[in-house]
Amino acid sequence: MKPEETMEPETTLQPLKNIVPAAQNNINAKFILLDKGRVTLEGQYKTCLALVADETAAVHFQLWGDECDVFEPGDIILLTNGIFSYSRNNLVLRAGKRGKAQKVGEFTLAFVETPNLSEIRWAPHPNDSKKYVQQAVVSPHSRIFIPPR
Amino acid sequence: MVEKLIKRSIHEAENPIEITLREAFCVLEPKLRPPFPLTIPTQEGYTNLNSAILYGILCEPHMAKVHVKHLHGIITDGYEYFTSILVKIVIELYGKLVDSVKRQLIWVTHEMVDVSAVGYDGLLVALLRQIVGGDFGEENLWLCFEMVNLFSSKWVCLLEEVPLVLSGALYVFLRLLADHCRVMNIPKIESLRQMEIAFCVRMLRENFSLCLRIGRDLVRLLQDLVHVPEFRSIWKDLLYNPSAFKVDGFVDISQMYGTRTSRWYFLLRITPEMESQLRFLLTRVKFGSQKRYQVWFARKFLAVPERKGVVIDIVRFICCAHHPSNEIIHSDIIPRWAVIGWLLKYDLKHYVEANLKLALFYDWIFFDEKVDNIMNIEPAVLLMVHSIPRYIDITHSLLEFLFILLDNYDVERKEIVSRGISTALHALTRKGVVQSLDVLTSCDMLSPIFKERLGKLLSDWQFQHRKEFQSTNIPPGGIPSSSSSLESQTSA
Repeated sequence: MKPEETMEPETTLQPLKNIVPAAQNNINAKFILLDKGRVTLEGQYKTCLALVADETAAVHFQLWGDECDVFEPGDIILLTNGIFSYSRNNLVLRAGKRGKAQKVGEFTLAFVETPNLSEIRWAPHPNDSKKYVQQAVVSPHSRIFIPPR
Repeated sequence: MVEKLIKRSIHEAENPIEITLREAFCVLEPKLRPPFPLTIPTQEGYTNLNSAILYGILCEPHMAKVHVKHLHGIITDGYEYFTSILVKIVIELYGKLVDSVKRQLIWVTHEMVDVSAVGYDGLLVALLRQIVGGDFGEENLWLCFEMVNLFSSKWVCLLEEVPLVLSGALYVFLRLLADHCRVMNIPKIESLRQMEIAFCVRMLRENFSLCLRIGRDLVRLLQDLVHVPEFRSIWKDLLYNPSAFKVDGFVDISQMYGTRTSRWYFLLRITPEMESQLRFLLTRVKFGSQKRYQVWFARKFLAVPERKGVVIDIVRFICCAHHPSNEIIHSDIIPRWAVIGWLLKYDLKHYVEANLKLALFYDWIFFDEKVDNIMNIEPAVLLMVHSIPRYIDITHSLLEFLFILLDNYDVERKEIVSRGISTALHALTRKGVVQSLDVLTSCDMLSPIFKERLGKLLSDWQFQHRKEFQSTNIPPGGIPSSSSSLESQTSA
């Protein structure tokens, strides 16, 4: 094996249910976009809240810039080095400046809408204030993107 | 600067097939210009060289002839590997290909037919599947034109080497003609229509025994074209003068009714992308959680009104080509009947809705346990039963349609249709698809006339079977050939 291959192991994808808020670009996951909200301007940049999910959980995802126009419901997105943290008081997953969101397919990914990790109240870990733990379920599913009936 | 194979939007990942081909091309590019090296490559070198040449053919049109000459010189496997990558490109990437690459793809397909490449039949089938029904866009009509041109110009060789593919092409073009003969004012459609008609008529007139291999769905497709003069005369011969087709032993249209159509034909009218989404829906999505998937599917494939006709092909695909395992049947995955029920509610034009119902019941009206599969007729009965009481209008309209078929599908051969339907009903209860038909025959919400007719069908069957037990000497298919009102039915 060449040295550089050992240096950069292939990124393993996390199931969404395992992601925890942190001030780090440490999220690698594959999920499907379920719904998109209205595009708004944050300064000169477009931003748009979306609902994404995989087979284990759902979460709110913040689209940024052209991502708002390019990604559509039904798109399968691969997120590398994304960040799950509070942005203006909302807990959202996003690519951030250092991460990347890419469309890798359409339709063929199973998902659940419960739990929604953005609808969980997190609190600092009692022994390690840098880590978060789940404290309470605010809502079983997104209160912004209500599941269709 | 190396040219691109596919159109890619920002934030879209690169395609692995494109990466592999381009890398092979970039590494081997110096060797792709004459004089070509005479060394015999290793196995790995051989596949890489195939990939590199293919990339060159597709992305460097001005060099294509040089590349193809090179290809002919190095081939040692009958083009098997080369064709297999082409098939993969068509199945997985066709819709995204750059226009000039599509042109090259058709050009190299002609080359593969000319050299009788191993697997070129699969390549032709893959291309046929990329033609989208009801899509009158320039690109799609161009592909129709190229394919009908290819099948017509290479007729003799295809007939000798891959006759089944020709029968598949007949299935495809007959189905496309149903759409192409319905529209006006679309540039170039008239000349395309003429070519498609010429190809189909030639197949039917010169190679009818091959056409017969399609089975009963050939009749279903021809029925939609009865208003087209060229097909009207074929209909007349089918009904009144079957010997005109010069096939020994073909004496009556009922022989076509009796042949179940292979699932292979139904796949020809579903694009691979549509197939994979439908199969995903029917194997992975839980009943109750399908809403979003249905919205996405409809947005992609059914949004343009003219393209909604594909629901007919989808119903044939679901009934005949997607048979779930027992494990799936007993799970909480969305059942086939529910997907068909959704399509039926999808704001369809009257003739599309009627054709959808015909597609749903088509194996009922000729059902014969010796040749037919219970899974093909299962969705219709479950849809009728499970729509009670909430969607009673569906049950009602399906039963009504079934009786319309019984009375009118083929007035001269009513006995066949009646026997088919009652045999189907019995098979469905005997095999436990439904516990009993009481849920229909004793349903207060259904018209008494329907219930009475249903009861009669069931008792007729018992009577018929007692008779057959007593005398085993009933001639098979002993129905006289005479006139039929099918023509007037379908042209109405």
